[in-house]
Amino acid sequence: MDMLHRLRGPNNEGVLAAVILVVIIGMSLASPAFLTPNTFFALVRSSLVPLVFALGVLMVMISGGIDVSFPAIAIFAAYTTVAWSSQASFDPTLVGIFAIAIVVGALWGLLNGFVIARFRLPTLIVTLGTQGIIKGVLLTYIGSAYISAGALPPSVSGAGGAYLVDIPGAGYLHMMLVPVVLLAIAVWWMLTRTTFGRSIYAIGGDIEAARRVGIKVVRTQVLLYVLVGGLAAIGGVIFVILGRNANPQTLVGTELDIIAAVVLGGASIFGGRGSVLGTVLGVLLVQLINNNLVLIGVPSTWQRAAVGVLLLVGVSIQAFAALRSRPSAVLLEKEVSRA
Amino acid sequence: MNAEKLSDLKRANQKVDSSFASLISRIQVPRGAGRMVILLLITFAIFAILNPRVFLNPVNLQNIGVGAPEIGLISLAMMLAMLTGGIDLSVVAIANVSAITVSSLYTAVSAGAGPETAESVAPFIVLAGVGVGAALGAVNGVLVSVVGITPILTTLATMQLFNGIALIWTGGVTISGAPSVLTAIGRSTAVGVPILFVILVVVAIVLAVVIDRTPIGRKIQLQGANPTAARYSGISSRTTLMATYVISGILGALAGLIFLSRNPSASADYGSSYILLAIVIAVLGGTNPNGGFATVFGVVLATLTLQVVSSGFTALRLSAYEYAIAQGVLLIAVMVFDQLRFRRRARSSPPATSETVAVATHRSANTRSTGKD
Repeated sequence: MDMLHRLRGPNNEGVLAAVILVVIIGMSLASPAFLTPNTFFALVRSSLVPLVFALGVLMVMISGGIDVSFPAIAIFAAYTTVAWSSQASFDPTLVGIFAIAIVVGALWGLLNGFVIARFRLPTLIVTLGTQGIIKGVLLTYIGSAYISAGALPPSVSGAGGAYLVDIPGAGYLHMMLVPVVLLAIAVWWMLTRTTFGRSIYAIGGDIEAARRVGIKVVRTQVLLYVLVGGLAAIGGVIFVILGRNANPQTLVGTELDIIAAVVLGGASIFGGRGSVLGTVLGVLLVQLINNNLVLIGVPSTWQRAAVGVLLLVGVSIQAFAALRSRPSAVLLEKEVSRA
Repeated sequence: MNAEKLSDLKRANQKVDSSFASLISRIQVPRGAGRMVILLLITFAIFAILNPRVFLNPVNLQNIGVGAPEIGLISLAMMLAMLTGGIDLSVVAIANVSAITVSSLYTAVSAGAGPETAESVAPFIVLAGVGVGAALGAVNGVLVSVVGITPILTTLATMQLFNGIALIWTGGVTISGAPSVLTAIGRSTAVGVPILFVILVVVAIVLAVVIDRTPIGRKIQLQGANPTAARYSGISSRTTLMATYVISGILGALAGLIFLSRNPSASADYGSSYILLAIVIAVLGGTNPNGGFATVFGVVLATLTLQVVSSGFTALRLSAYEYAIAQGVLLIAVMVFDQLRFRRRARSSPPATSETVAVATHRSANTRSTGKD
């Protein structure tokens, strides 16, 4: 029993891993084309950008908020940097591109954090507002033109073809896997091993209690949103690198899919709970389904409904778990008689 | 000893009483409506001055009246969910599924039994559309109230699900066809006022009566104002939330019918940008996103204001993206303004109640806004 409990993990990571295993077995039974290195490489590749975004969403969610502005920040930062670089005909190398984009993303994050923490406003509504602003500013003042591979800075377009492993005929593993894995480890380390990370959990668990034990709530929240803004920018640049083009109209609208993956990964919308491992598994599961539903003969129109059902099941499990662990309050007469 | 205990009890009683009174007074203050009238007049005046020839053109004014109802109904649905402290992200998906139901039922009947039969059973087809909206709303209701999933996640998931159903149903393409009753309503006017606008006003009045004058409306308000207090006063949160999401689903279905009447076609991804807009309008109209407070009148005025801004931006040849900026700025500005005013009021109220009010606002501002949104 105890071992079973350990296998399940603190945030149902074990359950999620089991579900992924079942899906993989089911898919390989349904289609012989599934169990190939190609599928695996495609899965990893398609998970890279969502995973970076998901790490940011995870941090916000642990703090008890919800952020829908990250895709707008991501494409804003990436597009602005790339467009500037190609207009100025100056290639600041890949490190420079990332650095500039991170600064741009962090500035938008600062705006989010300032408004949310200073005025104590609901994060969903604030980030909905900033999403509109960011997207509008990008398309009105920065540019709405598509930048094709040829016009990208050489370092960016070059990175698009840099592979870690390249098996002819069986696909390739992209170089960008390295920074994404490093990011995941960094976020894991920060959340579990640093005071700042534990403060995020504390704020999400109970903001008033966190304030009373001396956590500087406003400062932590602002810093958190700055970090998440920077993280979104990294995701945006990787998106441009992998896609080998920069289109200011993309990404915005994908926020709910990412949030769905994070929630599936066991993070609690109430805050205070969530893990990097669960988030990685959640992203993998969603991408597994998105990529391979067609392969096993399910029409692609079912994709959205499938993710919706998956999400519903995920949050229902959470809700039931919360129901069970909730300390029983004083019962109403009606409830007493029913019990 | 007894006397001491008694006075303690008395004090506790008074505290509860005054906090409850402040709660009730918060419900009754028509926050937002008066402000919205001014905001509407100001925006109208600005655009009328900047480009009177285009903006004050009767065609433009009628367009405002035709454009407002669908987003207005979606915003009212959003407002209702927010009134209980929730949110309904699935309302546009519900509207689309309802519209698809009506459109495909109509085309199926007219293909099978001829167009005349299809026209004669049009009322039933429309009712079926509304029924689908209510049923999908009930799905939300069950998930929120029985299963206990927080509304934002429930409706996030059901939004994907309903949207997925619509995609499967239509195969991802736009389907066309609608009863001519609907399209006739979409086109006609009464004394220059579009019928669709009249429908919005009628629905808004009915909703206002339900919220302010019926027991279930009171329960919905109390549920949002303080769920714990509502629970201890014997209000079944299950019934209340169920009713809320069913009504919200019906309002979504009505919005779907209006999509159809303006343009006799339906698709899975129509109006996906309306979710943000609906939240903006609801909050702008004085709805407290933490629950407990909303006015139908304010939301209708906010709808009109946004529609005026939208058509004014068009009249000034500004882009849709600049309109997106305006929406975002308006949303954040109004919320910051509300928060500042709320705090000031909490500080300046008489000492006897200031403590409880301050605690209450502090609470709702902190734990609920950053904790459960």
